[in-house]
Amino acid sequence: MAFAPLDPVLHNQLRLAIVSLLVGVEEADFNHLLTHTGATRGNLSVQIGKLKDAGYILVTKGMRGKYPNTKCRLTAEGLHAFEVYVQAIRGYLGRG
Amino acid sequence: MDAPMTPEQSLRVIERMIDQAKQSFSRLSFYFLLWGVLLTLAMTATHVLADEAQALRYGAPWAVAGLLGGALSSWYGSRQSRKEQVLNPMDRIIHWLWASFVIALLLVLFTTLLAGGDPAVPITLMTGIPTFLTGQIMRFRPLVWGGMLFWAAGVAMQLAPDPGTRAAVYCAAMMLGYIVPGILLMRKENGLRPA
Repeated sequence: MAFAPLDPVLHNQLRLAIVSLLVGVEEADFNHLLTHTGATRGNLSVQIGKLKDAGYILVTKGMRGKYPNTKCRLTAEGLHAFEVYVQAIRGYLGRG
Repeated sequence: MDAPMTPEQSLRVIERMIDQAKQSFSRLSFYFLLWGVLLTLAMTATHVLADEAQALRYGAPWAVAGLLGGALSSWYGSRQSRKEQVLNPMDRIIHWLWASFVIALLLVLFTTLLAGGDPAVPITLMTGIPTFLTGQIMRFRPLVWGGMLFWAAGVAMQLAPDPGTRAAVYCAAMMLGYIVPGILLMRKENGLRPA
């Protein structure tokens, strides 16, 4: 039986956590992702960059008061990739 | 978080994060507590002081409560939106649910008053709708029960033999439908998010 290959962009714990968080909301800022993933700032920045480069998330940088504020939003491509990934995982687990 | 994952681990990450996202609602307890207290005071003032001054009979306490509540809600809402870390589609639904309730409430209020009627019963019945639905959307039982309580209170007020009983039922509904769920929600919000 052939298994569907897993998307290497999503098959990483932190990147998968970021995308899973964004699936349930319209938009989340960097601090929200930091709190809920438990990642370090540096690692979170790197993984957000990789998701952005893959076209899975849209990143907007602005200011909140005096402080810089980074907001992330899942793109249609990111949502599709997530759905395909979940389907593949379900196949591996025999739930597909 | 960079170690290779098994499919089970992937699924657990997805489930855990989606569960966390579901809990990311805006803080709403302030509104229930604010309006619960203001409207209870307005009803109490209207009933207890009705014989003291004509303005009280003609709804001055309700106007004061409405203006004060509207101003404080706007101030709190704009302050919260500047602090919000996440934009949740459920927050947007809850926002428009209450906005549409306020529009309908004002229309019922004015049309009923113009016709010389008492809007207390229809407004109490209507209050149950957004309260009940907010509870369902947030999966927060005290608000669901609060919404149903407003419906029961509206019926009880319609059948009440005198204005005193009607006022008491309204105040009890505000206490149990807004204030108590508001306190419980505030405790839940404080538990979910660090201050």
